[in-house]
Amino acid sequence: MTAALEIQGLRKSFGQTEIIRGIDLSIGRGERHAIIGPNGAGKSTLFNLITARFPPSSGSISLHGRNLQGLAPYQINRLGLSRSFQITNIFPKMSVFENVRCALLWAQGYRYSFWNMVSRSRALTEGAEAILDQINLLQRRDLPAGVLSYAEQRALEIGITIAGGADVIMLDEPTAGMSHSETDYIVGLIRTVTEGKTLVMVEHDMGVVFGLADRISVLVYGEIIATGKPADVRANARVQEAYLGAALEADH
Amino acid sequence: MQSLEKTQTRSDGGVSMKSAMPWIFSAVMLVLMPFIFQSNSAITIMNQMAITIVFALSYNMLLGQGGMLSFGHAVYMGVGGFVCVHVMNWEIFGSIPLPLLPLLGGVFGMILASMVGYFSTRKAGTVFAMISLGVGELIAACSVIIVVFFGGEEGVSGDRTYGMPFFGVEFLSQIEVYYLTAGWLLISALLMYLFSRTPIGRMANAVRDNPERAEFLGYSSRWVRYNSFVAAGFFAGIAGGLFAINYEILTEENLNLTTSGSILLVTFLGGVGVFFGPVVGAIVFTLLQTVLSLETEIWSLYVGALFVATVMFFPSGLAGVMQLHIAPIKLGTWRLLVMPYIITLVPAIICILGLSGLIELLFHARHTAIGETEMTLFWVTFQHTEILPWVVFAVKAVVGFWLARKNAPQMMDAWHRANKPDGADT
Amino acid sequence: MDLILVNLIDGLVTGLLLFMLSAGLTLIFSMMGVLNFAHASFYMLGAYFAYQISIYLGFWMGLLIAPLLVGIVGAAVERYGLRRVHQYGHVPELIFTFGLALLIEELVKFIWGNDQIPYQIPEILEGAAFSISSYDIPAYKVFMIFLSLGIFAGLLFVMTRTRVGMIIQAALSYPRTVEALGHNVPLVFMGVFGVGTALAGVAGVIAGPVLSTFPGMAFVLGSIVFVTIVIGGLGSLGGALVAALIIGWMTTFAKAYNIRMEDILTGVGFTKPEPIWDSAWADLWTLTSPQIADILPYLLMILILVFRPYGLFGKRDV
Repeated sequence: MTAALEIQGLRKSFGQTEIIRGIDLSIGRGERHAIIGPNGAGKSTLFNLITARFPPSSGSISLHGRNLQGLAPYQINRLGLSRSFQITNIFPKMSVFENVRCALLWAQGYRYSFWNMVSRSRALTEGAEAILDQINLLQRRDLPAGVLSYAEQRALEIGITIAGGADVIMLDEPTAGMSHSETDYIVGLIRTVTEGKTLVMVEHDMGVVFGLADRISVLVYGEIIATGKPADVRANARVQEAYLGAALEADH
Repeated sequence: MQSLEKTQTRSDGGVSMKSAMPWIFSAVMLVLMPFIFQSNSAITIMNQMAITIVFALSYNMLLGQGGMLSFGHAVYMGVGGFVCVHVMNWEIFGSIPLPLLPLLGGVFGMILASMVGYFSTRKAGTVFAMISLGVGELIAACSVIIVVFFGGEEGVSGDRTYGMPFFGVEFLSQIEVYYLTAGWLLISALLMYLFSRTPIGRMANAVRDNPERAEFLGYSSRWVRYNSFVAAGFFAGIAGGLFAINYEILTEENLNLTTSGSILLVTFLGGVGVFFGPVVGAIVFTLLQTVLSLETEIWSLYVGALFVATVMFFPSGLAGVMQLHIAPIKLGTWRLLVMPYIITLVPAIICILGLSGLIELLFHARHTAIGETEMTLFWVTFQHTEILPWVVFAVKAVVGFWLARKNAPQMMDAWHRANKPDGADT
Repeated sequence: MDLILVNLIDGLVTGLLLFMLSAGLTLIFSMMGVLNFAHASFYMLGAYFAYQISIYLGFWMGLLIAPLLVGIVGAAVERYGLRRVHQYGHVPELIFTFGLALLIEELVKFIWGNDQIPYQIPEILEGAAFSISSYDIPAYKVFMIFLSLGIFAGLLFVMTRTRVGMIIQAALSYPRTVEALGHNVPLVFMGVFGVGTALAGVAGVIAGPVLSTFPGMAFVLGSIVFVTIVIGGLGSLGGALVAALIIGWMTTFAKAYNIRMEDILTGVGFTKPEPIWDSAWADLWTLTSPQIADILPYLLMILILVFRPYGLFGKRDV
């Protein structure tokens, strides 16, 4: 069966510095995969490479068997991959409802149409409301997205990411900067909305990672030093040495 | 927060009596205006306003809706207008009813925009602004070279009455032209408003706020911008056609940086964040331009100062300031504002009047011919050599400023209280 | 041959003048990310201030004092105007500088009137410095060349050899880091803005007598300055110099040599329509290089923006 996301021999250098030093990774359909690693390991760079923010120096990335080389971000999105951002990236001046509705436009086939009124479409309205309901922001639907609290904005971010119906969801540190209760809430949210989809996420919070992920990859200095089930990775000596040691003790 | 939510209008509502009201109201006003202001000069001013409104609304499709700052938008209006004037000179014009002419302008504005936009919309921001500047200056400069199309120094003129009579109307009189212009104004404004409610219009807003995010919604930011650009060119072309009908002549002036700059001023002054912002800006600016220029030679100094003040102190424009008052009105707390406004704004107005008096005196003293010392200001005639006018204006300026300054905190405080749902003290 | 030399000198004068204007602009852009639309207005202020001072104290005092005054005005604009608008974003900043340009033009008209003012070359520099065969090279032009080169050299020295220069270069790329190191970055910004506008002022002081001093002079030069720094590459001083020289020589030679489209077209094999003024292609056939001389920079800029958005030497994306 084709992997949802297949990365082979991926390398990326910025000038003289090689950030990604050869990554091979295969993520299956419906899998929940977490990527962890110390700061500066290249996690965000990896994300950006997959989503074509910049091109790789060498290597290939395939989505459902389709090579993503040379494609622009919006083209990759149309193939079924969607991402969230580490720094909240919503549309602050538009209302919460509008934010989600915009995320539905392409998926519902509207393209660059200037002959439909978005307010007339029941499909759009109901679709947006359904998602708002899932992320529990229905009450706040008419507020400008910029005035929401941080956690609410992160929830909205996730809502926008999944709205388009993409089946590969990439979340970049979804619980960054959150309190324990907010984290638990977001984790529950992620679990619900990514039901049946492939999830790839970058995370620092070990509790989140071990609770949510089917498999974990550990990225250190641009290389993956271990991939496998959470328990196996946890037991891996190399990983403990490189990264988990202090964090594990702190968390548990 | 609860009651504030309830008072906010649903932004996703369909067409309803409530949303159609402003349009019906405007249509009625447009029909009635010539009966209220009957003089020919008033009608001329209204025509000018109407054309400027269409132009400004089309500009706001770029700036306000799309986040694209263009310094060369005049060329789309200009080229559309030039095409129309040329058609007015052709034989075929006899079989075209005049009311259809602006459509032709729109089409050609759109064609030009689709060519230029192909290169310029790749990026927004500074690149876009610079390309628009370059293209604008290029086309304006070409206008003295390509005499065939642009008519060189004298421009191109035509006669609108040679068109096919439209239900017997030959458009000889100003008031007939007014209704034609007003009709097109209403249609164009409505279409532009509806455009902002379409998928492409909504995505234009999204791309403005966050082009990167919009890509991950499946939309190419570049093509969204391109579509907005072409549509803006279309409506600018319509404004050009209306200009051709109204003034029957187009020159290099319609293409140059001055015109592009003034529409930026108009739109920004009115407010780019609200649909009707440019409408307000166009009306205010046209009034300043026509009425104020009769009163003083240095009206453009005042406009310039107003513009800079707008950018610095209320960048949401006049419409933005008006919008700020919606919340207090809805909450019923606007009464709290009346007294503080009076004690702060009236002295402020007096201060401004005093300052302008001084400026006028200075200007008059410095630039009029020797011996001419008489001038009239605020319905009073005096000599600029007299001490009294100087003192009076200086006193007004100083006292007004001091009073306004003293009462401003009270106004701010009242404002804060007016914005609380229950009008309670902080 | 001699004509070429004369045109080289003329082009050099124009180019160096353009460079003085663009150097300040590109520095300000690098540092603060704002394209100062009003930059040419400070150039105009330089000319007017110098004129006013020269009435009482002579040309040379004008040359000395006017740029300082302009720099002070510039610094004040940054401190009280730009800094305030900065929080709203880049587009409002651009709009602010645009409005400022309008306002300055109106103020100049208010104070000095609409007409050209008699700002003149000082007597000592009137007349020719030397001749190349039958062409006289005005002494004033030679003066302009030396002054501009001197300023460029001074600028280069300050930027590369002094501490202040190093701080500015650092702040150009990493303002936050420089701030963390204890330097007063807002003060640096204000200083750079002041120096940038003072440079424009110097250009105005020396260009005023030859290019004529009138309220529209900023407008005339304004967009060309932008074209220059875009072609040269935003943020690059060297690029600004190269672009300015290219534009200076390009326009001078196009104006000096009457290259006619008619000759080119008949040379290629087309026959000229007769009578020429009836033909729809009349404009194309009557095209001469002096006609398009002033458009060439815009064409070049658009080509550069389309094919090489970084400009010739730019490091940052435009």
